[in-house]
Amino acid sequence: MDLLLTSDQLELADGVRSYLAGTHGADVLRRLDAGPNRDPAIWQGLVDMGLPGLCVPESAGGLGLGLLDAALIAVECGRVCLAEPLVDTAFVAAPLLAGTAGNDDILSQIATGTARIALAHPRNPWIADLETATHLFPSPLAGEATRPLGRAGEGVLASVDPLRNLSPPQETPENPALLNHAALMTAAQLIGLAEAMLSQATDYAKLRTQFGQPIGAFQAVKHQLASAAVALEFARPPLWVAAQQLQDGHPHAATAISHAKIAAGDAATAIAETAIQVHGAMGYTYEVDLHFWMKRSWALTAAWGDRAFHLARLDAAVIGGGMDIGPRHSF
Amino acid sequence: MQLQYTPAQHKFRMEIRDWLAAHVPKTPLVTLEREDGYHAHVEWERTLASGNWGMVTWPVEYGGRGLDLIEWLIFEEEYWAAGAPLRANQNGIFLLGPTIMEYGTPEQKARFLTPMAAGEVIWAQAWSEPGAGSDMAAITTKAIRDGDHYVINGQKTWSSRAAYADWGFGLFRTDPESKRHKGLSFILFDLDTPGVTRRPIRQLHGDTGFAELFFDDVRVPVENCLGGVGEGWNVAMATAGFERGLMLRAPGRFQATAARLVDLFRQHEATAAPAVREAVLTAWMGAQAYAYNTYAVAAKIMAGGKIGAEASLNKIFWSELDRMMHRTAMQLLGAAAELRTLGDGNVNAWLDGYIFSLSGPIYAGSNEIQRNITAERLLGLPRMGAG
Repeated sequence: MDLLLTSDQLELADGVRSYLAGTHGADVLRRLDAGPNRDPAIWQGLVDMGLPGLCVPESAGGLGLGLLDAALIAVECGRVCLAEPLVDTAFVAAPLLAGTAGNDDILSQIATGTARIALAHPRNPWIADLETATHLFPSPLAGEATRPLGRAGEGVLASVDPLRNLSPPQETPENPALLNHAALMTAAQLIGLAEAMLSQATDYAKLRTQFGQPIGAFQAVKHQLASAAVALEFARPPLWVAAQQLQDGHPHAATAISHAKIAAGDAATAIAETAIQVHGAMGYTYEVDLHFWMKRSWALTAAWGDRAFHLARLDAAVIGGGMDIGPRHSF
Repeated sequence: MQLQYTPAQHKFRMEIRDWLAAHVPKTPLVTLEREDGYHAHVEWERTLASGNWGMVTWPVEYGGRGLDLIEWLIFEEEYWAAGAPLRANQNGIFLLGPTIMEYGTPEQKARFLTPMAAGEVIWAQAWSEPGAGSDMAAITTKAIRDGDHYVINGQKTWSSRAAYADWGFGLFRTDPESKRHKGLSFILFDLDTPGVTRRPIRQLHGDTGFAELFFDDVRVPVENCLGGVGEGWNVAMATAGFERGLMLRAPGRFQATAARLVDLFRQHEATAAPAVREAVLTAWMGAQAYAYNTYAVAAKIMAGGKIGAEASLNKIFWSELDRMMHRTAMQLLGAAAELRTLGDGNVNAWLDGYIFSLSGPIYAGSNEIQRNITAERLLGLPRMGAG
C-alpha cells in the first residue's frame, strides 16, 4: 500500500508543465481566439515532446506509460487550458486501442502525431474536434482523410468556450470503457483548470490594492481562497486513486471515477466563482485571462457524464449496496 | 503508486480485528464526558495497553509496536469498524507524546511516555485562557522561576479532559516582561498539585468534559519544561507537529460515520428529501477523500517528506465534514432527532454526535484561524495591515 506519486511521475509532470508554461500562455489563447483556433505548430510541439505517444506501447513507438501518468499530464493540459485535442487522442483513445490487438498501425500514427482521434458516446453528445480529427472512436474508424482545420461556425456547434470545437451527435455504439476513461481524463483536466484559476485569483489578490492594502490581506478574501484550496486538496487524491484503480482493473474503478469527476467538477465550479469574485469587475471582462479557464471548466464539468449521471452511479454503489463501504473498505 | 495491501499488512489487519472482536465492550460505554464514563474509558485504555495496542507507531521501548503509518491506518480502520470506544488517552498519545519524542530530554521521555502509552496517566490540554482563545499569543498566565520551580498564577479555560484527567500541558509566560509569541514555555504539570483548582464546565450536551483551571502559586519543578525556556511557541507549533496534523482524526472515524449514515438513510429512504440523499453521497465521498489524502500524506512522510501548514486543510475538511454528516443524520431522523433516547431504547447517538461535531470547527485552532494559516502560509497572501 503506497499512495505516493513516484519521483518519475512528478518529474515528467514538471517537465510538461514547464514546457506548456513557456509555449502555451494566455497570449496564445488570445491569438487562437482571434483566428483559427487550432495551430499545427502547437500540435507539432506536443509531438516533439513525445506526448501523443505517452500511452502507446513501446512496440508501436510510444512510451508505454499508464493511466496515472497520463492523468497527471492531463492535469497539466488543464492548467494551461490547452486547445489542441491531445487528451482525447493520447490519453483516452490510445490506452483503449492499446488494449485490443490489431491496432498497431493506428497506435503508431498516434505516437507520430499524424492521427487525431475524436470520441463519440451517447452520454457525451457533442463530439469535440471532429473537424480536425483523422478518426472517430469507437469503430468503425472513419477513414484516413485528414479533416480541414476549422472553427465553430459552419455546421459546427458554438460553445461558450471559444477554443472548443463541437460537432453534433453521430450514431455510435455505447462503450462503457470509453466513458470511464474519458470521464477520468476530464476530471484530471478540471483539476488543472481549478489549480490555475486559484493561482490567478491568488496572484490578483496580492497585486490589487484597496483601502491601502492588497485585497488578499482581508479575511473576507483570504477565507474564500482558503476554502478553494481545501476543495482542491481533497479532489486530487480521488483522481489519483481512480486512475490507478482503472489501470489495475479494480472492480469498483467506475465508482472511483465518478467520485473523482464530481469532486473535480465541484472544485472547478466553486473555484471559478471564487476567482471571478476575487477579480471583481475585472473578472467580468473579456480582458482578464480568467474567462478562458472558467468557460472550459463549465464545459468539462458537464462533459463525459454530468453531475447527475455520476451521482447516480455512486448512488447505486454506495446506497444501493453495489459495493462494501466503511473503514475496512478504503480501496 | 500501489493500492494493494501486502500479505503482512493483511495479516496485521486480521490480528487486530480478532483482538478487538474479543475485547471491545459489547455495550457502548457511558460518555467520556461523565465521571463514571471517564473511568470506564480509562479502563478501556488499560485493556488496550495490556494487548500492546495503546499506540502502535510508538517505539517498543515506550510501549508501542514500532509500526509504520500504514499499519497505524489499518489499526484505526479496524478500531472504528469494531465500534471501539473513544480514546480517553487522545491528548497524550496523539498530541503530547509526539511532541515529547521530538523535544523531550531522555529523562522526560523515560518518565512520561511509557505511562502515557499504558493509559496510566491521562492528559488534559491547557492552552486557552479567558482572553486567549484563537489569539493564543495573548496568554497571560505566568510561570515565574523560583529556585528549582516555576510558580504558576493565572487561569486556563476550556481545557479538554481537565475535569477528570491526571496531568495537564500547555503554554505559560515564563518571561513576565515578554509580549505575544516570545517568552512562553511549554510546561507539564500534575493536576493534583496544591494550588490547582478545577471547575468543570457544563458543555452543550449537559455533561462536563472540559474545565476551567485556576492556578494559585502552583509550584512545578523546572524539569517539567518541555523544550527550551521561552521556546514554548515553537514547541507547540513546530512542523514536528506533522504527526498531530495527521493523527488527530483518523479517517476510519469518518468512514464509520458515513457508513452508519448510509444505513440510516436506507431506513428512512421513503421519506428522505432528494437533497438529503445527495448529502449522504457527499458524506461518503468526503470520508473517502479524507482517507485517500491521509494515505497519501502517510506515504509522503514515510518517504522522508514533511507536512506543515497542510495540516490546516485537513482540520478544516474533517471538522466540516463531520458536522455535515451529523446534520444530515438529524434531517433523516426528522421529528425524532430531538429525542435523547430513540424508540429502540438506545441513546440518540446522532444527536450527541451532532452536538460534538459543532465543537470540531472551533477546537484545535478555529477554522477561521486555519483559513488564515492556509491563505498566508500555503497561498502566500499578505497578513492584515502588512501591505
